[in-house]
Amino acid sequence: MYITAASTISHQPTFRNKGFAAGLTVLARPSALLHPDYKSFIPAMNRRRMSDVLAMAMACSVDCLEQCGVAQPDAILVGTSMGSNFFTKTFLDKIANASGPMISPTAFILSTHNTIAGQISLFLENPNYNMTHTQNSLSFEQALLDGMFCLQNGDHHVLVGAADESEDVLYNLNARLKTMDAHATCGASFFVLSAEKSAASPPVRLVDVGSFGLIGDDLSPYVLEFLQVNQLTPDQIDLVLYAGTKPATENALRRMFAGPVLLDYQVFSGVYYTNPAFALHYAVDLLTGERPPPVGNILICNNLIPENLGLLLIDTENARHGTLD
Amino acid sequence: MKIYVTGIGVVSAIGSNVDEHRYALEAGRTGIRFSESHNLMLGEVPQSDEALAKRFELSGDDHSRTALLGLAAASECWAGNKPDGQLRTGLISATSVGGLDRMERYYLQAKQNPSLDIHPLMIHDNGRTTETIARALGITGSYIGTVSTACSSGANAIMLGARQIESGRLDRVLVGGSDPIALFNIKGFSSLMIYDPDICKPFDDARKGLNLGEGAAFLLLENERSLSQTGNTPLCLLAGWANATDAYHQTASSPEGRGATLTMRGALAKAGISPEVVSYVNAHGTGTDNNDLSESAALKNVFGAAIPPFSSTKGFTGHTLAAAGAIEAVFCVLSILSDATLPNLNFKTAMKETGFVPETAFRKGSQIENVLSNSFGFGGNCTSLLFQKLH
Amino acid sequence: MDALKEELKKHIIEELNLQDVTPDDIIDDAPLFGEGLGLDSIDALELIVIMENYYGIPITDASVGKEILYSIDTMAAYIVNNKPA
Repeated sequence: MYITAASTISHQPTFRNKGFAAGLTVLARPSALLHPDYKSFIPAMNRRRMSDVLAMAMACSVDCLEQCGVAQPDAILVGTSMGSNFFTKTFLDKIANASGPMISPTAFILSTHNTIAGQISLFLENPNYNMTHTQNSLSFEQALLDGMFCLQNGDHHVLVGAADESEDVLYNLNARLKTMDAHATCGASFFVLSAEKSAASPPVRLVDVGSFGLIGDDLSPYVLEFLQVNQLTPDQIDLVLYAGTKPATENALRRMFAGPVLLDYQVFSGVYYTNPAFALHYAVDLLTGERPPPVGNILICNNLIPENLGLLLIDTENARHGTLD
Repeated sequence: MKIYVTGIGVVSAIGSNVDEHRYALEAGRTGIRFSESHNLMLGEVPQSDEALAKRFELSGDDHSRTALLGLAAASECWAGNKPDGQLRTGLISATSVGGLDRMERYYLQAKQNPSLDIHPLMIHDNGRTTETIARALGITGSYIGTVSTACSSGANAIMLGARQIESGRLDRVLVGGSDPIALFNIKGFSSLMIYDPDICKPFDDARKGLNLGEGAAFLLLENERSLSQTGNTPLCLLAGWANATDAYHQTASSPEGRGATLTMRGALAKAGISPEVVSYVNAHGTGTDNNDLSESAALKNVFGAAIPPFSSTKGFTGHTLAAAGAIEAVFCVLSILSDATLPNLNFKTAMKETGFVPETAFRKGSQIENVLSNSFGFGGNCTSLLFQKLH
Repeated sequence: MDALKEELKKHIIEELNLQDVTPDDIIDDAPLFGEGLGLDSIDALELIVIMENYYGIPITDASVGKEILYSIDTMAAYIVNNKPA
């Protein structure tokens, strides 16, 4: 299956900026989310009820579908760690501050985790399969895996994305990562996953996705088995984009991957639970840029929460396993 | 490929295990009562958080009731099963509340007292409640996932488990959902003006809305390979499933029941059966004006003049949100095992628009072969599951 | 009456978060829903909350609110005729 469109709104100039990966610099602290002008993607009457996470997801979805000329995807899948938390807090405030007997329901209506996927469906008037995965740092991988099932079951094009707002994750992240200096950011990335390749050159294939929870303290056997299932050895991987706790994740990866470049993609994305989606777009952009590096197989290794592991494997079709020609 | 249901576990206002649920369903005994503290009708599980935490030897204060109720149902379902290196075993849970039951308490307290420690806020994470359940059962190092699609979540977790097995990635998977009562949802459904001040009356002409409930349920799904290893006795098959979107409104269902029609037809098609052989439909039937009318339209679309026996069991449990699809899936399995249709409590008068009369008694008689279960949620998210008797 | 209508419009713009809409854009006798201002059924609930919380006028059944919430004119008239003593 192929990645035929990609769109990201983040703290970096990623949105509608093909070739961004080549010029990306380490994210400055503090940094801000770079919002596009949403007016050209979302009508004002729809925009008025949208939190950041909804607006980002909607703009990325519209952008993706335009890129590949798909009017109606066969499925809409979203991974989000905290979902529509802005409206959850808004409604809690309304409960706390209620002066009259009535509480306005809008925030409640928009507070469920599947508001993002649901609003995309409503906006497109799309009646197809619609799913929301919320497994903290593995939310995106799980949505992507579900998207692969859709294609295996005969779908042609599915829209898969991830979106998270920033303030939501702060407390959660810092406590869970046992570090108080995570550069908490946020973002949204959406993709179209297609059974057939598009005209884009070179076509980028999504080879496999893995989601492993409660893995203990050694990720190595999971990574090696994942590669083995895909008939690869570590030396056939050209680039590993990873997120994890330093130095544990990096050391473990170094022991396995002698040759390939190891890159901590969080220096670009900042830290949020669905940032492997940023890494995926980064990788796709690298491979399809004007001067693509001599890279065939890319592994994205998400060890953001030490006991959880997400793995994404992509390649370009014209790169044979292990050799570039 | 056949997907076998080999275990069930459930906790709700009408019982703390499968047997208690069977008795309550047979006796037509509701778990919905007037709650003095909330001043409305609720389907509460009587066990306290402390009692549940003690039962599962969980220490600390950071376990949401979502995880505790989930664990009660999941451990009954998992029972004598063990981790097995030869079998790829996963866990998929559904919740809409997640850690919000704790978060709302601290958030509202912190409003009064800004110096309060907001540390407990961090447990508002759906995935974490699922991890607590997985860890306690020893399901580790594999697919541990959470889906959250509001009131269809539980059914979607079951469907996703089936899709995992079908794809060949898992051999067996524990699937279900859990949601506690949260003030957030009480206030929310009240603000939508769809909370019945009396007991809910699904499919009745005088229905005024839903009552909230809480609970959890899990099912164990296995493929042939897993069965041959575990030696478990299958209870029935999960033969069909479908998810679709109403694409009509964020919270209301379309008058013509578009999404529900698609999913019921989809589940029948997946199972390869025609509508005439459906023995019983466990409807979503929340008791709101909108849902019951829309779902009735969908039933008419799918079954024409020959509507099979149907009922909503929300008059027993209340609407348990993300757990509803899982609890009702367990009820469907019980229906097949006891060859009985389940009663729709509090029904008096047929809706004037349809004239439909749901099943009002625990009725034994004909064999129950194929049972459809409907679940619909905010965002127009609709799912139907089809359970089938094993011969 | 005009002051009341003006006030209603301000409340509606604020509570419904109507970006880029000014009170002058809302015509007194034009329908608020559908063809007119383009409000939907979520907005209807918000309007009910405005009636209750700002004017003390309860509308307990969302479906009977339809005629009352048709336009600024109908809302203002209902407020004047039903103001709590």
